[in-house]
Amino acid sequence: MNLDKVISGFFIILAMTLNFGFFYGDLADMALHDKYELFAAIVVNIIATVLKLGDRTQMGSVLLATSLVAVIQLIAAASVWTIAINTVGVIDKELSSVIVSLSGGALLANITSVFLYVGDTLKSRR
Amino acid sequence: MKNSSLWIILQRMRTPFLVIVITYTISIIGMLIIPGLDNDGKVYHMSIFDAFYFVTYTATTIGFGEVPYTFTYPQRIWVSFSIYLIVLGWFYGIGTLVALLQDKLLIQELAKNRFKRQIKNLKEKYILVLGYNLATSEIIKKALDSGIRAVVIEKDEAKINELLLENFTPAVPVLNADVHNPQALETAGVNSVYCKAVVALFQDDALNTRIALTVKILNPKVRLAVKVTTQAGVENLEDFGVDIVENPFDIIASQINKALNRPHLLTLERWIYGSSKLTDSFMRFSPGQYVMCGFGRMGKAIYKVLKENGLEIKCIEKDAVKLKYLTDDERDDVEYVESYDKKALIGVGVEQAKYIIVGTKNDTINLSIALTAKKLNPNIITIVRENEMEDFSIFQTDKIDRIFMPSRILIDKTINAIIRPSADIFVKNIDTLSDKDAQSIIKTLLDIDKDPILFELKVTKNESFELFKRLENKTTITLDLLRKSLKYKDHLNNVFIFMILRRSGEIMFPSWEEKLQKDDIVLIGCDEHAKEEIELIANNFHEFEFAFYGKEHSLLKKIFGKE
Repeated sequence: MNLDKVISGFFIILAMTLNFGFFYGDLADMALHDKYELFAAIVVNIIATVLKLGDRTQMGSVLLATSLVAVIQLIAAASVWTIAINTVGVIDKELSSVIVSLSGGALLANITSVFLYVGDTLKSRR
Repeated sequence: MKNSSLWIILQRMRTPFLVIVITYTISIIGMLIIPGLDNDGKVYHMSIFDAFYFVTYTATTIGFGEVPYTFTYPQRIWVSFSIYLIVLGWFYGIGTLVALLQDKLLIQELAKNRFKRQIKNLKEKYILVLGYNLATSEIIKKALDSGIRAVVIEKDEAKINELLLENFTPAVPVLNADVHNPQALETAGVNSVYCKAVVALFQDDALNTRIALTVKILNPKVRLAVKVTTQAGVENLEDFGVDIVENPFDIIASQINKALNRPHLLTLERWIYGSSKLTDSFMRFSPGQYVMCGFGRMGKAIYKVLKENGLEIKCIEKDAVKLKYLTDDERDDVEYVESYDKKALIGVGVEQAKYIIVGTKNDTINLSIALTAKKLNPNIITIVRENEMEDFSIFQTDKIDRIFMPSRILIDKTINAIIRPSADIFVKNIDTLSDKDAQSIIKTLLDIDKDPILFELKVTKNESFELFKRLENKTTITLDLLRKSLKYKDHLNNVFIFMILRRSGEIMFPSWEEKLQKDDIVLIGCDEHAKEEIELIANNFHEFEFAFYGKEHSLLKKIFGKE
């Protein structure tokens, strides 16, 4: 067992699950999407990204790229939310669909990341 | 991968980034959980953005105060705890970044990147010089003067600083690396199409050979100027296809040989190398008693030449090891001495000798022997070897009649072979020329000018546009065109053609009727004025017309068909 692998695997998968948790639910209903879950998803995604920094292998670079995509999408979602709350004051259907679909994009990136990670692990087992 | 400095930074910054992210998260979560009181005394929870904002300015010790409402005591307790956490995390991150920027490895990587960029943007011909010292610095200066850039690889940082202080214009990129490292050589662009030649003139023969082999494996096409001091080494490298093998002691010996038998040829050669003017004559050697101090590599080479010419020579040597493997002939003439003092010099017959050749490795000893010999015999002619170029001024005394400087010989030879390869080939080809012919060539050249110019005209699209275009159109052009005067019709300039270098072979001393071909290289000796006109004829449409047809080209006449 490799502790490094455990840690990075843990964060990559946790990033995906948290992201999914936030994304799951009606697009238009903000009550179904928790802000704390989004916060947690951002933090875990950033950690997962940092863990891949400086990895010069082909796989490492691709993983870093997907994680960066997820982080950027999630931060964009959080920014939209913050700005909307502090300027408009309420989150209408339109805004909520923007926020949730941004996190949906991040979810796709996270899923790609997990697939790549699992594939790489399987390959190295052989 | 290409850009490893970025990777180094990212990899080292992993932990600091993690520390910052985690400490921030802990503090933010704390701020979110602990309830506060707003201005009306109602309980409220901080929004995520407020918490993030507060932590961000607190971590960087900016400290805007307690927002959005004054904190309660439980909040303040948490803040005082988290300040230690986040500020330390932040400083740790900054500290690591600063340490990283001062990291030797990173600085080296950055310098390497800068060097790579410089090489990539270098779209001119350049020579790659390995090792920086006085001799190679001279080569770089001369190369820059004639429009060829230079790139240096040097191991020693002190020498790199010296190079930087020299302030070469245009700039000379320098890489700090082992000179025999194939990767460093590749970084410096051994494989580049712009790399004209590689120069390796180290003291150490083995190192030179190693470099030569490495370079030849990396790029068999690049020209290579290498110094070796043994006959076996020379042959070895020539077998390997090294173009310019330089053995300074051989060169000195062959110069003495020529000075004895064909002095005019030597004068001509030295003029072509740029070592002296046509009017200066190299020293004449006449029969008489010769004495030589030092019987090393140079001593042996000179001894052989003098013996072959039937001259009397006696040698002394201080180092017993060097006397171990002598031929029978040599044993008769070489004597072991304890030191090169007055007694030893008298013993070998300095008082009756006509010439003394001083050729030890040590400049101080050389100088003192020469001075002692002059004192013992004021009529003796002293020929002294100078090893270090720095010592030039102290060797400039009237007690010394002739200086042999191996490094100076290397410089002249390298420069000539790299900057004017055609001149180098010419010198090789005139090796069989008789002294009388050489004398008549010198006379012709001196008729042209006291100090004629040697230059090469390349019939290529870039360097002689008009000539090349005309030859493409199948115009027949003879060498005669090059001596046409542009001022007066039917007047001829002072021009002497040494050689045409062609792919099919060289034409030595071609006649004026010789036809020019594309990609010819013409080696010309002439005065300043003629050089200017030749360049005009070669490149300018109107000047060419005038020289070729003997009249000005007129567009109007061409259009209306009138003569």
